[in-house]
Amino acid sequence: MRPLDVVDLGRRRYHDVLELQRALRLGRIDGSVPRDVLLLVEHDPVYTLGRGTHEASLPFPAETLRALGADVVEIERGGDVTWHGPGQLVGYPIIHLSEHREDLHWYLRRLEQALIDALAELGIPAERNPGKTGVWTRGRKIASIGIHVKQWVTLHGFALNVVADLSWFDSIVPCGIHGVGMTSVRRELDAGESDVVLEHRTREAVVASFGRAFGLEPHLGALPATMAAFAAQGPHHDERGAFATLAIARPTGNP
Amino acid sequence: MATKVVMEALSPTMEEGRLVEWKKNTGDAIAVGDVLADVETDKAVMELVARAAGTLINQAVPAGATVPVAAVVAWIGAAGEAIPGAGAPAAAPAPERRADRPPVVTEATLGVPGVASPGATARIAPTAGSPAAPVGPAATDAPRGDPAVGAVSPDGRMKASPLARRIAADKGLDLAGVAGSGPEGRIIKRDVEQMSVALAPRTIAPSGEAFSDVPVSQMRKTIAKRLVQSIGPIPTYYLTAEADMERAHEAREALLARDETSKFSFNDFVIRAAAAALRLHPWVNAWWLDDRVRQWHDVHIGVAVAIDEGLITPIVRHADQKTLREIAAEVRELAGRAREKKLKPEEYTGATFSISNLGMFGIEEFTAIINPPEAAILAVGRIGQKAVVVDGTVAVRRRMRITMSCDHRVIDGATGAAFLKTLVGMLENPLALVW
Repeated sequence: MRPLDVVDLGRRRYHDVLELQRALRLGRIDGSVPRDVLLLVEHDPVYTLGRGTHEASLPFPAETLRALGADVVEIERGGDVTWHGPGQLVGYPIIHLSEHREDLHWYLRRLEQALIDALAELGIPAERNPGKTGVWTRGRKIASIGIHVKQWVTLHGFALNVVADLSWFDSIVPCGIHGVGMTSVRRELDAGESDVVLEHRTREAVVASFGRAFGLEPHLGALPATMAAFAAQGPHHDERGAFATLAIARPTGNP
Repeated sequence: MATKVVMEALSPTMEEGRLVEWKKNTGDAIAVGDVLADVETDKAVMELVARAAGTLINQAVPAGATVPVAAVVAWIGAAGEAIPGAGAPAAAPAPERRADRPPVVTEATLGVPGVASPGATARIAPTAGSPAAPVGPAATDAPRGDPAVGAVSPDGRMKASPLARRIAADKGLDLAGVAGSGPEGRIIKRDVEQMSVALAPRTIAPSGEAFSDVPVSQMRKTIAKRLVQSIGPIPTYYLTAEADMERAHEAREALLARDETSKFSFNDFVIRAAAAALRLHPWVNAWWLDDRVRQWHDVHIGVAVAIDEGLITPIVRHADQKTLREIAAEVRELAGRAREKKLKPEEYTGATFSISNLGMFGIEEFTAIINPPEAAILAVGRIGQKAVVVDGTVAVRRRMRITMSCDHRVIDGATGAAFLKTLVGMLENPLALVW
């Protein structure tokens, strides 16, 4: 089975990670990054506007949202406006689809399957909503998906609400779908566990199911040397979970 | 020689894509591999990359437009080069090919910017443009796949592969004016298949008829998708009504007594009444064409006739403009020739609505199967005497049950019910039908 480098970035600013994604993608295209990568991150509050963004999806001016402590960024992924922030597990797979399937719908469906399987493992029944990319549970949206592809290498990915404060979504029309309710792992599970434990369990499940969905074996990866500068910056906040405790195989001869 | 840039399939299941943003403008120099535009399907955006070098000479669709896979979105050519054929047939995913009938074309919705006006459509070009051209060089000079030229060789013969010809003949498609994508514009199998997908409903259309295309709204699209998921490709439901045929019976008796040379069946009454009712209910006199509903302005009723090998539906054209007597005579004549298998294709294709009657076999009521792209079919049962309550007392009346199968993508319950109400009203008050 081909390896998947899983890199946990902790909590980072959106823009920094976007730069890293782009660099990794270029490396994946030119071959200097030889393996598929899954970046995991938790962002500072940010509203991102996809290419499908309708003005009406952002009822407050960007200034108002910034005043609430959230950044507003325009990006090249598909889909409409969404929110990222604390308590949300964001995954950015930098995957070379030519090594899997050159089929965007297949990729979107596999991403959904990975999240559905992970949620099932946590005890949450989740499903697709035909025609609306994303993952849903009991009529509410629990994970959003939006991607951008260049020469069959992916950018952007998924965002799964784990213990996020869902009121951040109140001020937007998530993904351009009116009347959509958002939910989170915390809300669906009503478990007695602390946020930290729940976040770790979720990460573990997502990494494992992502590997299964794409036929890849997750390894605790490191950033390529050329991007070490980014890693050296360290997490923006030092609230990162101890990713090392994840039950994934430690690579042998890891670069 | 200009090269097409088409909406690429980013997935085998992708049917259309949204051109999100142009990355190159008209006049920009293009190298192979340059990103021309961003294209979106579902929640995925992908870069549309140039496969030819030159100058972007035309953006055939604006940013934000949703276009079918394989539709032309741009042309790359030499600087200053004209767009081949003004982009007319090839740029339109489902081009309207009735340029010779201007009123029709003005009504028809093309929906794709960059398409030439009807008068400029390319059909005349092959012969008008090159009659004097020398035979040899002209054939090789003709731009490959140039949609303005079409696949006609200088001697006027259609250039098409035998397979393409056979498929076209099987499907009843006219290859005139088709832009071939094979060598020297030769029409190949793929062209016919694409054409049959895009044009099939239209090529069997009642010739020269007027219609209004109503674009399918997002809500209707969603309704259509859901219903198809639930029940199959044509989400059919059924509406049944019962008509009191006493007065129709009286009218028929009177007609038969007065005119011994003519025959009138109850089914002729039904055809006449349905035709009149269809005029009042455009959603029922309609075709489902996936991205739009075509409401026909004329009424052509297909009448199911059982024949040896199965059944066929000869068409009473302009049934709404014909008298009961004319309809009766025409149905008999068509049915006779149908049984002898002497109907021409245009006599049994292009109905806007169909009627099937099994009353003569004693069938009380039944459901008929929709003949796509028509939106509905009416199933007519036998007329029998029944005890019914009329004005508070039980009376014996001749009654007839009719059941309409409706394509829910076109006809909602209330719409179908309103049509049946009109139809029953007309059958129960047949005076207007008789004359």
